[in-house]
Amino acid sequence: MQYFQNTNIDFVGKRKFFTIFSTILNIIGIVLTIFLPPQLGIDFKGGAEIAFEFNKDVKISDLRSNLEKANIRGLELKSFGAANQFLVRVPEIETGPDKVTNILQQSYSDQFNIIKIDKIGPKIGSEMFIKALWAVLLAMIAMMIYIAFRFEFVYGVGAIIAIVHDVIVTFGIILIVHHLGILDLEVNQGFIAGILTVVGYSVNDTVIIFDRIRENREKHKGLHFAKMVNLSINETLSRTINTTATTIGVLVILIFFGGPVLQGFAFIMFIGIIVGTYSSVFIASNYVIWYNTERKSVIKDNPSLNTVK
Amino acid sequence: MKNNIGKIALIIIVVAAVIVVMYPSYNASNLETKLKDYQARAKKAGNPEDSLKIMEEFKKTYGADLESAKRNQLKLGLDLRGGMYVTMEVDVVKLIEESAQRESIDEIFTEVLDKTREEVKTSDQEAIDIFLKHFNNIARPKGKTLISYFDVADIRDASEEEIISKLRKDAGDAIDQAVEVIRQRVDQFGVAEPNIQKQGNSRIILELPGVEDDTQMRALISTTARLEFNLVRNNADIVRAFAKIDKYLAEKNGVFKKEKSDSLAVQKDTTKITNDTTNITKNDTLKSDTTKKDTNNPYEGLSEQQIQEKHYREHPFTSLFATYYVPEGENANWMPFYYINDQIPEVGEFNFRISKDSLAKFLEILNRPDIKTFIPLDLKIAIGAKPDPRVLKQNKVEIFDFYCVKREPELTGDVIVDASQSFDPTTNAPVVNMTMNDEGSEKWARITGANLKKRIAIVLDDRVYSAPVVQTKITGGRSQISGSSNVEEARLLEVILKAGALKAPVKIVEERVVGPSLGQDSINAGITASIIAFLFVILYMIMYYNAGGIVADISVLINISLIVAILTSMKGTLTLPGIAGIVLTMGMAVDANVLIFERIREELAKGRSLRSAIDEGFSKALSAILDGNITTGITAFILMTLGTGPIQGFATTLLIGILTTLFTAIIISRAIIEIVISNGATQFSFGQPKVQA
Repeated sequence: MQYFQNTNIDFVGKRKFFTIFSTILNIIGIVLTIFLPPQLGIDFKGGAEIAFEFNKDVKISDLRSNLEKANIRGLELKSFGAANQFLVRVPEIETGPDKVTNILQQSYSDQFNIIKIDKIGPKIGSEMFIKALWAVLLAMIAMMIYIAFRFEFVYGVGAIIAIVHDVIVTFGIILIVHHLGILDLEVNQGFIAGILTVVGYSVNDTVIIFDRIRENREKHKGLHFAKMVNLSINETLSRTINTTATTIGVLVILIFFGGPVLQGFAFIMFIGIIVGTYSSVFIASNYVIWYNTERKSVIKDNPSLNTVK
Repeated sequence: MKNNIGKIALIIIVVAAVIVVMYPSYNASNLETKLKDYQARAKKAGNPEDSLKIMEEFKKTYGADLESAKRNQLKLGLDLRGGMYVTMEVDVVKLIEESAQRESIDEIFTEVLDKTREEVKTSDQEAIDIFLKHFNNIARPKGKTLISYFDVADIRDASEEEIISKLRKDAGDAIDQAVEVIRQRVDQFGVAEPNIQKQGNSRIILELPGVEDDTQMRALISTTARLEFNLVRNNADIVRAFAKIDKYLAEKNGVFKKEKSDSLAVQKDTTKITNDTTNITKNDTLKSDTTKKDTNNPYEGLSEQQIQEKHYREHPFTSLFATYYVPEGENANWMPFYYINDQIPEVGEFNFRISKDSLAKFLEILNRPDIKTFIPLDLKIAIGAKPDPRVLKQNKVEIFDFYCVKREPELTGDVIVDASQSFDPTTNAPVVNMTMNDEGSEKWARITGANLKKRIAIVLDDRVYSAPVVQTKITGGRSQISGSSNVEEARLLEVILKAGALKAPVKIVEERVVGPSLGQDSINAGITASIIAFLFVILYMIMYYNAGGIVADISVLINISLIVAILTSMKGTLTLPGIAGIVLTMGMAVDANVLIFERIREELAKGRSLRSAIDEGFSKALSAILDGNITTGITAFILMTLGTGPIQGFATTLLIGILTTLFTAIIISRAIIEIVISNGATQFSFGQPKVQA
């Protein structure tokens, strides 16, 4: 079986269109982040979460009115995974969770079961947040250095442009999904892990296309650079589609069967991999092409910039 | 063909290694099921004595196997098995405040402390460094130095550096001491496989599998420990009390009445007690007594076997431990003591030792309300904190001393100003020096003066850390405690003694409790997702790459087993994010195979022979596979080192997955394909469309 054979789709020809399109997407993503601030999970802002399940049907509105009796400051209630499972969040970790369990005890006596309690002090939370940001930043720098070392510096820059693009666009989509109430996607440790995996995955995609460009530069020396990039993308298209298909398949399975804890993570990766695949094909090479064609005419005297190592 | 043997061997070795590594996990889960059966039976038994008996039977038959299997099995994270995860932090600011001399504390110092406390809340710098920063900014311009506030115990002209390093050491000791206290309490609470460790300089991480009652556990780990000095009263009184307990229990069991008629019941009783007996009592059974020509000897004329049985039957309590009599006088020898008659020496002292196996039964008996009345009101039993290191090293058994101490402490730990471990200048043996404040010194002189040649137990949380003999009346508040068998023991004693001096509360800063049902749900969901995902990948690959797809599937299957096996042998922990990492690897492992097969197809389309297309395909795909996996590996590595908790678990499996992917895709996949085509096949379908010649 084979989807494509010797395709010659012009991916590169419309690069100006895709560059503008992605730039707009990124601007939307940044604007969204400013106006629809992401919800930080207790991992990062501190607070307590209590998840519990009832062994009978309980309406969330009834539960809410019962909980409101306790008058706990900043209490949030949402459903958690399966039916009759709920999650309550309170910002105060010392007495808050006990107040919640007390009120549950009063209203439902033995008909509920605590399935999880998390309490994170604010200091630990902010520490984790700072560490996570460092991790993202360091991972990007390390990958850029690796690609610059294995290919050329321009390729490293191209890959980083694609990564930043993926992070911003994925983040924007997730914000929309979260605020529309489709899925509960708050920024917690799993979120960061998801985004970082997207970054790793997208770089992998990009590197495989770059690898083909590296090889084709040797093989087709006379070919115009942009055409050669297009050829490389076409040659790797089959792989791109197959790998994306299997990974997306696995992630869809995780979203539906992985349980409430994995669901958010899998969804982030699902969005991220679609965005990442798009950027590997349509965005990552654009900077390299621009550098090699338009800039080359400016610095023709310096051929060393365009040699293959 | 020769080449093939190597390749087949390689695959077999990999598979065999996986099986060997994973067998303990399989065995452990089998034995755990058996353990549950026994536990259910023990629960049904109703009374604690029979329950203990059933559990001991299990321990005897499967205990060792289960223990070794558990040591080598794949550990599941708390998110999968349920339990409590706690991070605790020592309040270093409080420690600094308490270390300063009370009379010298002024507004400037309070201001520095307040600023420090405020900043510590959000900064990840060490509290002492933050304190020094604020001290330099606020106090120094006003002409204050550290020397104005701190007085390092003995050093009269302590330098600034000495004060700082002393504060740092105290902070470290406070953590060590909290770890020790929490470990003892958690052990007594009966948590299976707790993990208690220090993180950095001021934090403790507790992982307590299976703990659900978080309120009780929280109270247990966060109450401050109490250090006390109690007089040891291992004298005739307590021995008499023990003898009475023996008699009471034996009568209750009907030993004396039914002795002759009901030999079957007796038999049963005996086996039970023999199981409980400690190694020491076994070794010192009544051999010596048979040689004793005592006119009162009730064992006269019985065989050794009968003597043992009779003894255990008549002494259900005291046969749980070993008693030694030490006559008065220097270097008196320990003599085994057997409670065979009512003659109990009034002068001299006793020593009691018990093996860990009997401890549960011993405490169970002692805590019965009807037994409690036998122990004199002003006395209590306190168990040694650590097993005898010499016996542990030689015989690998844990033997604890236990002491009868006065219920009311002579002195509490808050009089201790400092403690430090050093070496005796003449013998070079490890010793611990202890300094008390004026009030304490006065009392201490009185106590030691009145109890010369007697023992005083150093008790923290009802556990005895040392019970030194008072050699002289100690005036001036400086004492030296010798007799520690090694430096670690002395070091521990130092840390424990400081429990009185350091008032650094430990507070919970992070707490996660996962109920067992959520854990089980997560495992089920994880397994379901993995199986469905794997089926999907298998079918997709076979559909697209035909025979090549089957090869890829075998290689992915080996890959997944390798990840789990490597995680097991690294003593890593499988968490839910870890399962996500494995599922993800599955997707990515396919990628490497896809890259190779696409290349082979391309080469075949160019008209190459099967053999050379395969060679070319593998070698050309290599650089892309390597570069792609290394970049992902870099992310995983950074996540593993910088991340905490869930992120780390995910990154660890991802990183292992990348390594196994490289191995299986490049080596195993290729080996399988080559084995197949070396048998003369000229066709191998990679799903490529039929090439028109």
